[in-house]
Amino acid sequence: MKRLLIGSLLAAASLNAFATAPGGPGCGWGNMLFEGQSGLPSHLVASITNGTSGNATFGMTSGTNGCDTSGKLAYHGKSMLVLSSIMNELSEDMARGEGEALTTYAVVMGVAAEDRARFAAVTSEHFNEIFSSADVTAEQVYTATLAVMKRDEVLAKYADQA
Amino acid sequence: MFRALFSLLLALGSLIAQANPHPDPATLRSLAEHPYWIALGHYEKPLIGGWRSYVDDPGFFLSERGEHSPLAELEATLEALHADPGLADQHAQCRYPSRTRWLREQLALTELPAVTCAEYAAWYADIDPHSTVLVFPDAYLNSPSSMFGHTLLRIDSPDMQDNGTALLSYALNFGAMVEQMDNSMLYAWKGLAGGYPGQFSLLPYRDKISEYSSLENRDLWEYRLDLTPEETGRLVEHVWELRQIRFDYFFFDENCSYRLLELLEIARPGLRLIDQFPLTAIPADTVRAVKDAGMISSVNYRPSREKELLARAQPLSSRELVLARELAADTALLEDPAFQQLPAERQALIQETSYRLLRYQAVNRERDSDNAARSYQLLQAINRNPPPRLEIPTPPLPEDGHESRTWQLALGSLDGRDFAEYGLRMAYHDLNDNLDGFPLGAQIELGKLRVRQYEGNHWQLQELGLISIRSLTPRHALLKPWSWQVETGLERVAGKDGRQRLVGHLNGGGGFSWMLNDELLAYSLATLRVEHHPDFAAALSPAAGFDAGLLWRNGAGNLLLEASADYFHNGEIRRHIGLTQQLELDRNLGLRLSARRQFSQLDTPRNEVMLQLRWYHY
Repeated sequence: MKRLLIGSLLAAASLNAFATAPGGPGCGWGNMLFEGQSGLPSHLVASITNGTSGNATFGMTSGTNGCDTSGKLAYHGKSMLVLSSIMNELSEDMARGEGEALTTYAVVMGVAAEDRARFAAVTSEHFNEIFSSADVTAEQVYTATLAVMKRDEVLAKYADQA
Repeated sequence: MFRALFSLLLALGSLIAQANPHPDPATLRSLAEHPYWIALGHYEKPLIGGWRSYVDDPGFFLSERGEHSPLAELEATLEALHADPGLADQHAQCRYPSRTRWLREQLALTELPAVTCAEYAAWYADIDPHSTVLVFPDAYLNSPSSMFGHTLLRIDSPDMQDNGTALLSYALNFGAMVEQMDNSMLYAWKGLAGGYPGQFSLLPYRDKISEYSSLENRDLWEYRLDLTPEETGRLVEHVWELRQIRFDYFFFDENCSYRLLELLEIARPGLRLIDQFPLTAIPADTVRAVKDAGMISSVNYRPSREKELLARAQPLSSRELVLARELAADTALLEDPAFQQLPAERQALIQETSYRLLRYQAVNRERDSDNAARSYQLLQAINRNPPPRLEIPTPPLPEDGHESRTWQLALGSLDGRDFAEYGLRMAYHDLNDNLDGFPLGAQIELGKLRVRQYEGNHWQLQELGLISIRSLTPRHALLKPWSWQVETGLERVAGKDGRQRLVGHLNGGGGFSWMLNDELLAYSLATLRVEHHPDFAAALSPAAGFDAGLLWRNGAGNLLLEASADYFHNGEIRRHIGLTQQLELDRNLGLRLSARRQFSQLDTPRNEVMLQLRWYHY
């Protein structure tokens, strides 16, 4: 019997292209901005049982989150994984120029603490380039971020590492 | 020759195994009764004696008798720890790192074979446990089942606090496992009755934030615990042993709170938290237990998306609110002169309110490209003209609210007949109860009993309420929620010959509420009722009616002025008006004054006044 994977953005991912991307299809790579978040059919039911991920997701390495983690996740893979699950929040934070999702993005991009304010300022300044349309995907956001970072004297070194 | 050498080696191997200093039976027996071993096996002592484990999964036990015998399980574990290291990830040392560590310490097992646990090591390194946060999603007013809340743990890695982000941490959740085939009703029922097994899951905390903050509109309270890195590590180590392991799950008892308290006891040996929960573990009480144990070092409040939207809209005038709503529906208005001529800082507030409204509307829906396009245009506008940071003050802590169970003692008079009344309510909160830590306009009561003793030692059951839920969520320029209520049980109402008859009833209603000002909530609901009344000809009599009132939060407590009416199909018309004022004496003590007048076709109007002492206890 098929079990529900509830409340996980990753599970709600569309099965778009990127079959060759690390993690495999269904992992969230092709997630578009403003992808809907869906929960249990009934809130009443959800909050009564606290029902969660049916297949007992047990961390990233257990491979039950819709991503194929049988191979070792490259750092690139991990930042993509995080990005695709916080894309909506990230778009807001980047538009405003601050916030937890933006900090998180800086952390997974390997940006050192002293350069995060700059990362926030630079990415916010180039918001229209990084989030180039309403239909932008996680992968496009990631690529555009690297492009913006490469042009910045301080952030370029992080883009090269990624 | 080779074979001979091999068998010699084998023999030698078994000799070494036998040469292991086998602990004497007395030591084993006392170890098997050790609180830590009992905790690792999740054993409890049932009333009938002996032992029983909460774990309902043969995969957890190494001994066939493991579920009922801590000693058998201990012996089986000891043997398995000495097994061939070639078993690698399947080896008992890899499957049971907590048991391994503890037994190694207790019995000084220096001779254990060294096993490489690649899978466990990778898993542990990915989590990188360092500190623990207890997370309590608060009640959501329009979803009373959430009033009982939920608790989960967040495991942070060492650099979490430096980075200032919890979005990379893991959430450790205990919940029911649900089969997709089941429909909602069956699901709810099975969840309550224990039809689903419970399991731990470990998933990104950011997913949990989305779930609670966006989907369910619940605030999150994050209590940082004072567990050391070593203690947090012990906790995570044991969680590995519980991977894919099924527990009994009961909504009221063996629920998330109970399981998490067990984990904390394993993290810090000697800690006693579970003993405080003999019958029910309500998550708010769980937080309180942890707090009383002095384990909370700091608290962080994470408001829901709905709270953020309302807080952003709060400074807007009614004209600006209308503009925000129109802008959300049609982003072309961004270029409209009427919007353009507003001061930049007002534009910033309005467009962010519109954006938040759009996102709020999109929750729980399929991606809608039109909504996405408008959201994106608003984001661009926000990027050009960002609003000031949204600051939301931390409300009173949920654990500072009154305790769950209520004892009541009242003196009153019904049309000149004096009475004393004794009452008990198992849970939880009504509209008048002490408000700190609870939302205004929310009520959920379970298991309510009131017994009256009239003059002349005449005893009467006054009320036996099974469940009573009221959810009065105010409407707003941007949000238009429903208000509703449902109640069932036995209660006394007017009957023939001036008697008060005990009737069984089920009633519900739906309508609207409004905040008239910061402290005054008005509501109006249409109601339906089915009643079994001994003086009625029909076994079940239906009625339609209304219920309306004012709830005023004042300096002394909550005041409720309420009027309701039921028009029965058989001609009976029952109406009542009531006024109730609570005086909040202390966190767990309230004095309640109430006056009500009841009208019925069967009886003359009756007046009742009552002074009630309410003690919130445990």
